[in-house]
Amino acid sequence: MSTINFANREINFKIVYYGPGLSGKTTNLKWVYGRIPEGRKGEMVSLATEDERTLFFDFLPLDLGEVKGFRTRFHLYTVPGQVFYNASRKLILRGVDGIVFVADSAPNRLRANAESMRNMRENLAEYGLKVEDLPVVLQVNKRDLPDALPVEMVRAVVDPGGRFPVFEAVATEGRGVFETLKEVSRLVLARVGSGA
Amino acid sequence: MVEPSLVLYGDLYARALALLEETLRETGARYALLIDRKGFVLAHKEALWAPKPPPLDSLATLAAGNAAATQALAKLLGEARFQELVHQGERMGLYVDEAGEHALLLLVFDENAPLGKVKLYGKRAAEALARIAGEALAHPPKLNLDTQYREEAKAILDELLGN
Repeated sequence: MSTINFANREINFKIVYYGPGLSGKTTNLKWVYGRIPEGRKGEMVSLATEDERTLFFDFLPLDLGEVKGFRTRFHLYTVPGQVFYNASRKLILRGVDGIVFVADSAPNRLRANAESMRNMRENLAEYGLKVEDLPVVLQVNKRDLPDALPVEMVRAVVDPGGRFPVFEAVATEGRGVFETLKEVSRLVLARVGSGA
Repeated sequence: MVEPSLVLYGDLYARALALLEETLRETGARYALLIDRKGFVLAHKEALWAPKPPPLDSLATLAAGNAAATQALAKLLGEARFQELVHQGERMGLYVDEAGEHALLLLVFDENAPLGKVKLYGKRAAEALARIAGEALAHPPKLNLDTQYREEAKAILDELLGN
């Protein structure tokens, strides 16, 4: 559910990048931060360990400016991917409007992708949400790996029903990063005023 | 439970602002914010004499995350909640209190504001704001945004992120 501030005429949306550890969630946000012009973005906040693994979350506010009289903003978050940070992941999902699931193309991360999706379903369920009820975009990242698995194989383990729009990406080079963000934003906006 | 949207509008918003302003006056704090548990700012006020505030989005996001983590810690220890949070540095401090189930009150204060006053008036304000938030949840205004809103937003996204 978006947060609407009628008095200030603002609409805020929360988009969360989810996925296994080291799949490239923070890299997505860093790329966006580096390419969005000043005035359209706020400060990027990263709560990370010394070796730059996300500890709690990364946060980046994105400002679309005024849309039909409403200042419209997307708040982008990442969750920590490592298995033992589940409490943090659950907290970040509170009030989520849309999700980017960042999957890893490496063969040895196939199981981690599946495990992360299962974990996301469980955590959403604690807020009374189902993946099927939310806008979700699947980003298959690290397509530049020499032994990258076929996209369909990655998809088969995280989205066997083939529901989510899929984007191939190399987040370190920015490939697929904006396309993914645009799609999830579009899906989130499509729900505005629809009563969803 | 699906997170409800906390929407302040009209009289409720004016009452929330008046409360924040009064709390600034009573406590001597610099900035007062009402935020939701997701980390979005619902209303804010700053003292007339206060310098430019820090980024409010970041402040609200971190405070909401911190409050959620603190609540999780309380549960681990078998407590329903640790209600208030105070951080005090050499010059600046932060007071966070629950304004009901869905909102938080944030006060940013400096060394000139006595902590006792901040806590006393902060708690009172949080209780009053909880009632306002409760009313807002009970009577949310209807958002009538049409396809034009979506089309305009999409055009801006195209411009910002490419076609």
